[in-house]
Amino acid sequence: MSIRIGILSFAHVHAEAYRSNFKKIPDVELVGFSHGNADEGRHFSQEYGLRWYPEHHELLAEGLDGAVVCSENANHLELVKLAAEAKCEILCEKPIATSVTDAEAIRRVCEQNRVRFMTAFPMRFAPSTRSVRTMLKNGKLGRVLGIGGINHSEAPKRHRTWFADKQLAGGGAVMDHTVHLADLFRWFFDAEVVEVYAEVGNLFFRNDLDVDTAGLILLMLSNGVHASIDCSWSRPARYPRWGHLQMDVVGERGTVVLDAFAQHLTLYSRGAARDPGWIDFGPDPNQAMLEEFVGSIRQNREPSVTWNDGYQAVRVALAAYESAANRMPVRIYHPS
Amino acid sequence: MGEIHAAAWRSTGVKLVGCTSAHAAQSAELAERYGITAFGSYPELIKGVDLVDICTPTQLHRSLVVEAALAGRHVMCEKPLALTLPDAQAMIDSCAAAGVRLFVGMVLRFFPQYRAAKELVAQGRIGQLGVLRLKRVAYLPMKPFDNWYIDETRSGGMVLDLMIHDFDYARWVAGEVERVFARASQEGAGPVRYVQAIIRFRSGAMALVEGGWAYPPGVFRTAFDISGTDGLIEWNSDQPLPIQTYFAGEQTRAKSVGLPVAELSEDPYTSEIRHVYEAISTGAPFEVSALDALAALRISSAVRESLTTGNAVSFGPEI
Repeated sequence: MSIRIGILSFAHVHAEAYRSNFKKIPDVELVGFSHGNADEGRHFSQEYGLRWYPEHHELLAEGLDGAVVCSENANHLELVKLAAEAKCEILCEKPIATSVTDAEAIRRVCEQNRVRFMTAFPMRFAPSTRSVRTMLKNGKLGRVLGIGGINHSEAPKRHRTWFADKQLAGGGAVMDHTVHLADLFRWFFDAEVVEVYAEVGNLFFRNDLDVDTAGLILLMLSNGVHASIDCSWSRPARYPRWGHLQMDVVGERGTVVLDAFAQHLTLYSRGAARDPGWIDFGPDPNQAMLEEFVGSIRQNREPSVTWNDGYQAVRVALAAYESAANRMPVRIYHPS
Repeated sequence: MGEIHAAAWRSTGVKLVGCTSAHAAQSAELAERYGITAFGSYPELIKGVDLVDICTPTQLHRSLVVEAALAGRHVMCEKPLALTLPDAQAMIDSCAAAGVRLFVGMVLRFFPQYRAAKELVAQGRIGQLGVLRLKRVAYLPMKPFDNWYIDETRSGGMVLDLMIHDFDYARWVAGEVERVFARASQEGAGPVRYVQAIIRFRSGAMALVEGGWAYPPGVFRTAFDISGTDGLIEWNSDQPLPIQTYFAGEQTRAKSVGLPVAELSEDPYTSEIRHVYEAISTGAPFEVSALDALAALRISSAVRESLTTGNAVSFGPEI
């Protein structure tokens, strides 16, 4: 029996990528997408050959097995609630919420409706990050002295303006990027983030944007490892690609240098938006992530990335804002 | 470092007079190689010279510089200038009182890639500064005898000995510092191996400075990434060199202390010493002043304080 999937909102840039990812999974039917804005809805429908539903409840009435929530961050809770009440299993974009209150409400509504919730952390599904985790689990690097992490990018506003809207996104660069590396660090060690220090500012679009565009975070994990995150929108618009996900994991017996998107061609092309541009040819982590989501529905089991993973990562981003405002490290408590 | 400086001085046209060391065999060997005199003591060495170049462990800098100043000799002193801010201030004051010149070997300013990036920023090519990333991670120094680098009471440890390069560079490029926060790892009570420090500048710009004696022997990686409102400058030492060689069956042996120099028309240590020679010969000002060295020391000290207290350290108004 095929698994029926719907995409709730096309607000997030990942929605169009997910569409082609789902097409590659056997016995998955991508029923369509719902999107409130009619002009955009018609445009995406034509562009991607997908059925458009102006109302979310119309799409959910189709009897979906799974719903992918790709709305603006601040609207996740509302759509998760609708999907949960329609008894769909849920894959939700990161960050899962813009406040702890919303994140906790997401957990409650999923529990009440007995649906499972997966956080979209695709980087856990890259072969490169999996290799790093295996090396750490095997003790190959010895005791880890620290991790320098980079997830800097261009300003995503040129793709979707809401990314730089404080209300809809919940913040700027810190809200956008912190969660990916925070989640990888937690996952690498099966540890929690216990302290966060951050410097945050709007250093790149001082006159154009009203959100933070620069952020440097230095956090402490419960296993005593310190790790940094550069989440800045510091790449120029003409940079050969959106940005990077890189880290140096420095251990007593060895160091591993990760550049998750190192595998790319360099394309020089007249009239291109980026010239040169980097064309990735490495594995697509989104593909494996969506296969895990579909697999969890098919096998009726918990997905490998849970609500708690999304929640803990949001707490780190929120702690970064708090730290920057108070100019001191912020503790994150984990009652056992 | 004494050997590297000796080679650099030799290329300037000065007369190298002699050397001295707490380890007689070391100075005898250097003296023989350069055809100079190995003096039995520091007072004997400075008696007959115009300038003395101090490459000793850091905790000796103060007394040697002050002694040279009192004898009326110009001084070139390796970085870091001193272990503490009061020591550094006393050295600067002594040299000023004696009317001798004091140059501090902040050699990174003579590395062509770092200099070129600084010039691009100064020209406004990347607009107003946003985020700087500076990396300098090497391996634990392993001098065959008297490995003073790893003794924090003599070298100040990795933060003072190694990271000071990037602290000085960050301040050169981005201006005065507002606040710092740092985290470190060490092995038991052993030397600090790996540090990450966040600097906030008065301008609002911010930097992440990564330093380490953490890699396996022989591995030394440096990098910078400087972004602004109108552009970005990237460089890292992983980039291929103009020539790369691959030989069968060759084991690479790591030097006792890593130095990030490769394939330049003039090595930065020679550029630095040539600059000292020319500035002293002509009376021109140094491109990096003792006050710059003092300011870099102040940043290093603040980072060490943050490591001790666990909190951010704010700078007072007077810098």
